[in-house]
Amino acid sequence: MYDNPLTTPRATHGRAPDVFHPGGWVPMREYPQREAVDFVVIGTGAGGGPLLARLAERGYSVIGFDAGPYFRPLEDFASDETSQSQLFWTDERLVDGANPLKMGANNSGRAVGGSTVHYAMVSLRFRPEWFRSRTLLGYGADWPLDWREMWHYYARAERDLAIAGPVSYPWGPKRPRYPYRAHEINGAAEVLARGAEAMGYQWSETPLATVSAPRGDSPSCVYRGFCRVGCATNAKQSQLVTYIPRALAAGAEIRDMAMVGRIAVDAAGRACGVHYHRNGAWHFQAARNVIVAGYAIETPRLLLNSATDRFRNGLANSSGLVGRYLMTQSNQAVYGVMDDMVRWNKGPPSLTITEHWNYNDRKDFHGGYCWMAQGPLPVEWSAAMSTSRRLWGAALREKMGDYNHQVGLKMVGEMLPHLDNRVTLADETDRYGLPIARVTYSWHDNDKAMIQHALGEMQRSLELVGVRDLWRQENDTNHLAGTARMGFDRETSVVDADCRSWDIPNLWICDGSVFPTTGGVNPSLTITALALRTADRICVQARTGEMRK
Amino acid sequence: MANTTSPSGAARTTLTLLGSLTGAALLGALHSHARPPPATRSPAKAPVPDPAAANRAARRLNRAAGTLAASVLFDSTVEHYRGQFQNRAMYTPLVTAAMALGVSAHGTMDERQTPHVVRDTVYALISIVGLVGTGFHLFNVRRKAGGFSWQNLFYGAPLGAPMAIGLSGLLGYLSERVRETPPGQVPMIWGLPAGRVVGVVSGLGITGTVGEAALLHFRGGFHDPFMYLPVTMPPVAAIVLGRSALGPAGIARRATRWWLRATAILGLSGTAFHAIGVGRDMGGWRNWQQNILNGPPIPAPPAFTGLALAGLAALGLLEDHPDD
Amino acid sequence: MTERNRYPGYDVLVKRHSPSWNEATRRVMDARLGVPREPRFLSRIEWDTLVAICDRIIPQPKNRPPVPLAAYIDQKLKADARNGFRNAALPPQRAAWQIGLAAFEVEAHQLHGKAFHHLTTAQQDDLLRRVESGRIDAPAWGDLDAALFFSEHIMGDIIAAYYAHPTSWNEIGFGGPASPRGYVRMRNNRRDPWEPVEAGPGEEARVGRENRRVR
Ligand SMILES: Cc1cc2nc3c(=O)[nH]c(=O)nc-3n(C[C@H](O)[C@H](O)[C@H](O)COP(=O)(O)OP(=O)(O)OC[C@H]3O[C@@H](n4cnc5c(N)ncnc54)[C@H](O)[C@@H]3O)c2cc1C
Ligand code: SF4
Repeated sequence: MYDNPLTTPRATHGRAPDVFHPGGWVPMREYPQREAVDFVVIGTGAGGGPLLARLAERGYSVIGFDAGPYFRPLEDFASDETSQSQLFWTDERLVDGANPLKMGANNSGRAVGGSTVHYAMVSLRFRPEWFRSRTLLGYGADWPLDWREMWHYYARAERDLAIAGPVSYPWGPKRPRYPYRAHEINGAAEVLARGAEAMGYQWSETPLATVSAPRGDSPSCVYRGFCRVGCATNAKQSQLVTYIPRALAAGAEIRDMAMVGRIAVDAAGRACGVHYHRNGAWHFQAARNVIVAGYAIETPRLLLNSATDRFRNGLANSSGLVGRYLMTQSNQAVYGVMDDMVRWNKGPPSLTITEHWNYNDRKDFHGGYCWMAQGPLPVEWSAAMSTSRRLWGAALREKMGDYNHQVGLKMVGEMLPHLDNRVTLADETDRYGLPIARVTYSWHDNDKAMIQHALGEMQRSLELVGVRDLWRQENDTNHLAGTARMGFDRETSVVDADCRSWDIPNLWICDGSVFPTTGGVNPSLTITALALRTADRICVQARTGEMRK
Repeated sequence: MANTTSPSGAARTTLTLLGSLTGAALLGALHSHARPPPATRSPAKAPVPDPAAANRAARRLNRAAGTLAASVLFDSTVEHYRGQFQNRAMYTPLVTAAMALGVSAHGTMDERQTPHVVRDTVYALISIVGLVGTGFHLFNVRRKAGGFSWQNLFYGAPLGAPMAIGLSGLLGYLSERVRETPPGQVPMIWGLPAGRVVGVVSGLGITGTVGEAALLHFRGGFHDPFMYLPVTMPPVAAIVLGRSALGPAGIARRATRWWLRATAILGLSGTAFHAIGVGRDMGGWRNWQQNILNGPPIPAPPAFTGLALAGLAALGLLEDHPDD
Repeated sequence: MTERNRYPGYDVLVKRHSPSWNEATRRVMDARLGVPREPRFLSRIEWDTLVAICDRIIPQPKNRPPVPLAAYIDQKLKADARNGFRNAALPPQRAAWQIGLAAFEVEAHQLHGKAFHHLTTAQQDDLLRRVESGRIDAPAWGDLDAALFFSEHIMGDIIAAYYAHPTSWNEIGFGGPASPRGYVRMRNNRRDPWEPVEAGPGEEARVGRENRRVR
């Protein structure tokens, strides 16, 4: 009998799934509901995972809640785009604005391990200046953090995730050598390299969170290319196979298939536990501290849904900024055809990269971007083709026939924070009876200018290496950030540099939603580094007595 | 317990076992090193050259060349199969390594005192092929995007492989020169004492192979501590062998001998290590079509064995034919 | 319809028992291939309209068993499996499909006095194009934004169903499922023996033989 993790929680009865062995189990500590644990962490993804591991390793009692299932990749993951939608947040969200966002597969995971279970593993550091873009570059907002401190936590995150990267990364300040060597690049990635060389740009193998040699029970990557629908190899160093096992070993508990609907606040105005739905009923878990790590849509939704008489606009929201300054990253692409047999689906999709940090080359917009090689699977590819080129019927099937000859470049670009790009609560409710999120998004002039610039550059680089039939995918966006920004004071931000909310001293928010700006590279390594830092800060504050304030 | 940083289960057990065996060989080497070498020339060894000794040394060299050729044969078959024999030239190492293997087997059994014209020609030819092949591989690496980048050194055509086949040819060629030593004379090559020439060539060969192993194990991130063995043990062997080859002749060199033996064993246990590695990859042996190619190269490590055997032959020559 | 087969002889299902497929994949693909070919959520008339629309969005060659696209849409609606977001201008997917299919029917009757599935393919294409660009009259559309319905559901759902089917993978030469065995040869013009060969014009017979060895 196949025990279905989507219908029944697996982490129960003192054991949790052993992610490395089909049908296997590892022991798990369990905490009673009525006794307050030191920390409850809501969400077990890029931010929640490292927090769970680090806090448990420091001896705290912690429970990680996740609305999603607890997978064993080796037995649960099919090589199939459609059925692997089991990894995504597929509950309804409304999207509107001038440029409604695509959610689901595009940017929202729902599983123990969060979106890192199906992310594309690109693991990049922000450029130092991005942490002070307002002061140094004249746009966005400064982070209340020093980049040198982040550099230290980036290095730790890279070690923890055994990032496979180039021997030396061409851009930015020096960093230690990546723990694993870069992967062999595929034909599609070589096109980026040749195009960059033709334009006089540097290129590099992309640092990826998938191992190029065995690590523990993770075998090396087999280049199957299904990364974005889950790695059935366990080569991918997602939080599910790295921080979560560490957290369990250190005494943390995981509650899978447990949707937190509300954070409870006591008479003193401090968070005192969470109401969560599991096994068909609502429960309450008492806690001394609560950390929210549900990502940029669910985090504000939960805070707003937890409104009380005392906090009428939702928790941690005296600034009115919870849900505001939502950011995504522009993800436009240029595609074309080569005579060569490329088979771009082989290997992780983004094996090479070129970064454009937009410093001193006087562009007419703010922010930075990079572009990477591509290798979408058929369903994703057909969606890109049909929507961007308005193709259907025989014409679509004909163009799809070029699948194995296709190459493409895709940008990840910094979109600027705007007050009106936001998450609010809709009137509709979900299966738990909770109001669902409404996500409103519109691009602004700077966003559009950057997109056009990037499209032009990518197109030229493909033209220079003889790629034919070029066309532009103009409408795509991906990663999310913002909605609970960190800052220097309680009027203009939701949390401080330690990810601690200004309003409720024992409530933390530690995921992509605290980003004041989103930078021009993929965000998850920054989220993870931030979480490692937050765990350290919590320990320092506990020692110095600051926690009780 | 799920393990995120070191392997668990059977893989761990086997790795440990194998590691201990190799470690024992290493200890043997270290231990013998500790003993003071007999520094004086042994009076028992008369400086009168023994023709049978030259033949023995020559056959040892044939054996060394053959071992190296076998490693190259299997390794390049696997690698060029991966490369789908994209051009005809990719069959060359298969043919030449097979020929080297054949003539080396013949030479190992041949007790005659004269060189064999076919063997001699084949060996000479193969040395040249090795050089040409290195050129081809250099060209291949240079042509790729990024040129001489780590990416292409890791995943492009390996520069060391054609050298290995050339080295096999060279060892064989040297063997023929030793073999043709007239009775009553000290084996000489290019006007130099054969033991020293062979010693230096093997020492350099070991050094080159260490370079190749270092490159590939660096590519593998030295993810397993045993991966440091081939970049630590053989270099010592190469150094002590070099010292013996260039230092005073006619003394018994226990330490050198032991280091070379340990290196020879390392070459063999390396094969077993690599086989375990293949089994540990995704899908294990059932997925051999992928893992034989993408996993650690099973036939590569015995190159060390071949070169260590050549080093031992050199030691024999040095001891049998003191030249100073 | 005769069209050039670029990967003659290739059948990704032959790899079912090779190391390219794991148990989870076999489970999923068995379910996909075994989808019931009858409507379980939609009404008969909605179903007929849907089948006709699917035939125009993805016209399929006559010389092979067709991919039952309408059945996948019906299955999705029955399970109410959603994508995780919905344009606020659209109702939930079940309602969107029901209103949309009914409106197609009304449009067909208004324009041609016939059911949609009885129109000629040219008439069907014409009507589809009108809906695609929002040039519609029938009040049956109500609040439903026809153009949005066309792009999000008609195109989105049907095309996704087709390219999730092994038949389409054979057609485009996609290697298909790949675990535990992935790929070895990463560079251009390199092929692993378990990947299909593409046939240039006139090479079909030879390549067909090669592709029958792909497993
Ligand atoms: C297809 C795809 C590719 C990507 N590729 C990359 C990439 O290559 N590089 C990169 O840097 N980033 C990438 N990302 C983005 C990256 O995955 C996210 O930015 C990152 O994981 C966000 O981390 P997080 O901790 O904020 O949230 P998540 O990792 O999304 O974790 C949030 C978790 O919280 C749970 N949760 C939310 N609300 C609740 C609740 N109320 N109760 C219980 N549980 C809850 C969710 O189930 C989820 O598991 C990609 C994302 C996607 C979808
Ligand atoms: S390509 Fe590598 S990381 Fe991606 S799914 Fe396959 S094994 Fe996992």
